[in-house]
Amino acid sequence: MNPSTTVQTTVDESLSAAARAQGRTGRFHLPSRGERRNLVLGLLFISPWLVGFLAFLVYPIYYTFRLSFTRYSGFGQPTWIGLANYQRMFDDQVYHTALWNTFYYVALAVPIGVIVAMVLALAMNAPVPEVPVYRTILFMPSVLPLFAISFIFLTLLDPNQGIVNEFLREFGIHPPNWFGDTRYAKIAIVAIAQFGAGQVALIFLAGLKGIPQSLYEAAMIDGAGIASRFRNVTLPLMTPVILYDLILGVSQGLQVFTESYIITQGGPANSTNFYVYYLYANAFRYGGQMGYAAAMAVVLFLITFAIAILIFQTSNRWVHYDVT
Amino acid sequence: MTTTKSSQHRAEKRTRIAPATFNRRDLVKGAVGAGAMTFALGAQAPMIVRGQSKTNVTFWTTYTDTGLKNLTDIVNAFNKQSTDTNVKIVQIPPAEVTDSSKLITAVRGGTGPDVYLLDRFIVNERAANGLLEDLTDLMKKNGMNPDLTEDYIEFAAREATFDGKPYALPFDTDVRALYYNKAMIKEAGIDPATWDPSKGVLLWDDIKATAAKLNKKDTNGNFTQAGLVPWFDQGLPYTFGFSWGGTFFDKSKCEVTPDNDKIVASGDWIYNYAKDQGVDAFQAFIQAAMKPGAPPQQNPFIQKRMAMWITGDWSIQNLATYAPDIDYGITYLPVPTKGMNSTTWAGGWSVVIPQGAKEPEGAFKFMKYFAGPEGQKMYTKASSHVPTLKSVQADKSLYSGKHVFFIEKLLPTTKNRPPLPVGAKFWDELQTAWQKIYLNKESAKQAYGEAKQNTQTLIQQFCPIT
Amino acid sequence: MAKAIIAEATQTAEQFRSQRRAHWMRLFSQQVLPRIILIAVCALFLLPFYWMVVTALKTTPELAKYPPTFFPSALRWSNFRDATHVITFWLYMRNTAIITALTVIASVISNPIIAYGFSRIEWPGRDKVFLLVLATVFVPFPVLIVALFDIFAKLHWVNTYLPLIVPMFFGQAFWIFLMRQFLMGVPREISDAARIDGANEFRIFYEIVLPQALPAIGVISIFAAIYAWNDFLGPLIYLQDASKYTIAVGLAFFRSQHDFQYSLAMAAATIVVIPVIVLFLFFQRAFVEGITVGSIK
Repeated sequence: MNPSTTVQTTVDESLSAAARAQGRTGRFHLPSRGERRNLVLGLLFISPWLVGFLAFLVYPIYYTFRLSFTRYSGFGQPTWIGLANYQRMFDDQVYHTALWNTFYYVALAVPIGVIVAMVLALAMNAPVPEVPVYRTILFMPSVLPLFAISFIFLTLLDPNQGIVNEFLREFGIHPPNWFGDTRYAKIAIVAIAQFGAGQVALIFLAGLKGIPQSLYEAAMIDGAGIASRFRNVTLPLMTPVILYDLILGVSQGLQVFTESYIITQGGPANSTNFYVYYLYANAFRYGGQMGYAAAMAVVLFLITFAIAILIFQTSNRWVHYDVT
Repeated sequence: MTTTKSSQHRAEKRTRIAPATFNRRDLVKGAVGAGAMTFALGAQAPMIVRGQSKTNVTFWTTYTDTGLKNLTDIVNAFNKQSTDTNVKIVQIPPAEVTDSSKLITAVRGGTGPDVYLLDRFIVNERAANGLLEDLTDLMKKNGMNPDLTEDYIEFAAREATFDGKPYALPFDTDVRALYYNKAMIKEAGIDPATWDPSKGVLLWDDIKATAAKLNKKDTNGNFTQAGLVPWFDQGLPYTFGFSWGGTFFDKSKCEVTPDNDKIVASGDWIYNYAKDQGVDAFQAFIQAAMKPGAPPQQNPFIQKRMAMWITGDWSIQNLATYAPDIDYGITYLPVPTKGMNSTTWAGGWSVVIPQGAKEPEGAFKFMKYFAGPEGQKMYTKASSHVPTLKSVQADKSLYSGKHVFFIEKLLPTTKNRPPLPVGAKFWDELQTAWQKIYLNKESAKQAYGEAKQNTQTLIQQFCPIT
Repeated sequence: MAKAIIAEATQTAEQFRSQRRAHWMRLFSQQVLPRIILIAVCALFLLPFYWMVVTALKTTPELAKYPPTFFPSALRWSNFRDATHVITFWLYMRNTAIITALTVIASVISNPIIAYGFSRIEWPGRDKVFLLVLATVFVPFPVLIVALFDIFAKLHWVNTYLPLIVPMFFGQAFWIFLMRQFLMGVPREISDAARIDGANEFRIFYEIVLPQALPAIGVISIFAAIYAWNDFLGPLIYLQDASKYTIAVGLAFFRSQHDFQYSLAMAAATIVVIPVIVLFLFFQRAFVEGITVGSIK
């Protein structure tokens, strides 16, 4: 190792650091040697991600996009059929059902999830000494495998042997056949999702803890009650965290699959045939439909993207970043 | 000639995507980063037992329980007499009959079996997808006629043939009928002797009235006993559609026709049956037994909680094993109106060689035995199914007891599902429509109309179907 | 005069009462109400676990009882043994453990390296590229399965663990993010000192910064372990050979393959869930840190 080059680079670095400290000297400037060196080093360090990004994300998306214009059974070669797969989506009622089921699920599971998580977070924020115990209990289900939870709910919500229906009968309510009834199957799956609310609640709790006490005190001096304090202090300050959860929640909600695969196999009468479940069925169950599945994947990608943009667009109306 | 599949395929070749553009080298390069781990894992993938002179053949089946045992017996018998081939039977997870996802993913990953037991009405669809090997050469080499209709019964041979070429060897067939528990129908005031098939064909509406008398509910409105759940087990769209005299496919128009008046009428009957006797209660009653691969012990007929059961010939064996004490009778499937001929339908399974099989020669040797006289005879006796080889079917010594009725009386009344390159999709669509009907979510006309539309969007690419 | 005193007294009494009321209100809103909510919700959240364990311990006749019993009359511990016999349970567990271990190793190697490039080295365009990393979190994985399966099939990787593990060597957006957040907090001075001493960047990463980042690596290992243990769609698609199944796939097929007795299924589920619970209880703090880092931007 040549000491002079090392000194040189550190000098360069301190120079560029100084430049940074003064603010950018101009929009266009030739990169200094140190910057070039850092660029190379930086790219070197992130190269695993770069390769993975290209190989396992960009390329597959491109591949999917191309497949979506073909008929492809997975055997032999794909046959170019233009937009036929996309046209088929307009006629395919099962696809419409799957789309509807998925939106129904997202529209129910995501907002309910936010409310449940908010209630849990507010409760956990109370100065109760044994709160770590509650936190542990509430958080734990969200790290457990969904396939195992699906099994548990299958037992829990069994129309005859399940304890939930037994409770309902005790209270004189005629219990529904949760997973066997088109009216309740989706709702039961929404309920399963709430079992994982602890994780979001924890994120909300961290947000709550970040709200300065002084704001509450100020509000109290102004004579604000609990409800008013929640509406005017807590909620506005929580909106960035809620935004984060909404976007992630929608993205995850659109992917709902495991519960349907394990518990209902898409039934009864397609009532839990969700988008990804139908995509999976087309890709791997009906052997000939890889092209159609690819087109469905492209549309799902666009839907996810569009909803995320939509939420972001509306967010400047309700998300408050200003107060710290 | 210009309209056949093969010429169509040839035309499509020109517009294919060049495979080289799916850049796989980049991926391999990327994978180098994974280093030694890759090698460590890759090395453990193929486990080939060496030092054995016999060819090893893998045979996958979704059968469970006694079905699996019967198949294993044939495999063992084959292995015993074969000098050069050893078959290993592997049970893979069962699902709906139309769900071949394990097979499809395995074959595409290059890890498929040599022989696969496939529901015969799906052979056309899987062959059209390119999943199966054309058996023509192997048959010729083994001194068999590639025209399956010579040795096998007509409809089974047709189901196993796609585009004029054999893709499967037919194995068994089966016939559906109405089973009834004599002691239970006596409760409803019926003399079991009057239901004997020699007294003629029953009417669906009479069955419904009798069943209603046998329904018992507890204080919570749950069934503790039911007369008949007509959509349980083999109570399927095809069963009722055929019973009402409907047809499911119009070859001249290349159109599936679940919306034809007779099939819709059969659906209406089911809709009203559910409405009159309790939609939700039925659902809770049979849910456990309706799951794919559900064990016979969960079957309400075997539990003596259901008096009648629409099922097939194979249930004779199941009843003998799991409920030998039930005194039951078997009769024709009822008819909707007096004077109509009773119609039932037949299905059955077959053996195929998936693409990429490592030992197609050995596989075929086994298939020839399995679907040949030896295998079919063993299976017929063990499972009370019906053989598809004409020569074996004619052998009266194979049938005894109640099984004789199926062969002599029911077999001549059978129809079968149209072998379509979208058979699995059509089946699934019919099943979904069926659920909507018996759950009273939609009228038969609406549900079957949707089934037609959804299948039709897919079938067009294969038209005309010869 | 006396009136005034009385008035004053009532006033203070009034004040006192209202103070008391405020006190009780505060007590109620801060101690009682949250407790009621928390205890009720906790009971609700514990019910599925209770039902799992109780069902796992029921005898077959009791299982068939209607209405179901909330407290089992006899505990049948042998259900646990039976559940591990009806399927090749321990083989599936072993496979899952192997995949989990390799996933952890891969994540622990790749994510710190990548995060280092995003946090400890200043290079033009870095933060824009990092936004791209974050954006990938929102790409739904199922969008890729059609293509990935085909690509892996062409590489002959299907029915091996490679499609599940190799991508882990290339980092996961969220874990890169966690690691980056942590590395940003490590003081710059220590690497600058090493640079002056002439150490090359990789040595600085490996010998100086990495030892500081052990807690974050712990968080990532736990997340990776949970991810691999819980994964369902990946193994479902890529693994065909029953001898290679993970417990997730094995259990899913258990449902269709065998007499689906609730007691055995719940016994199996209990055994699957226990390692996760244990891991969680031991490393709860790491979990909480990992999850909340994501929220504080």
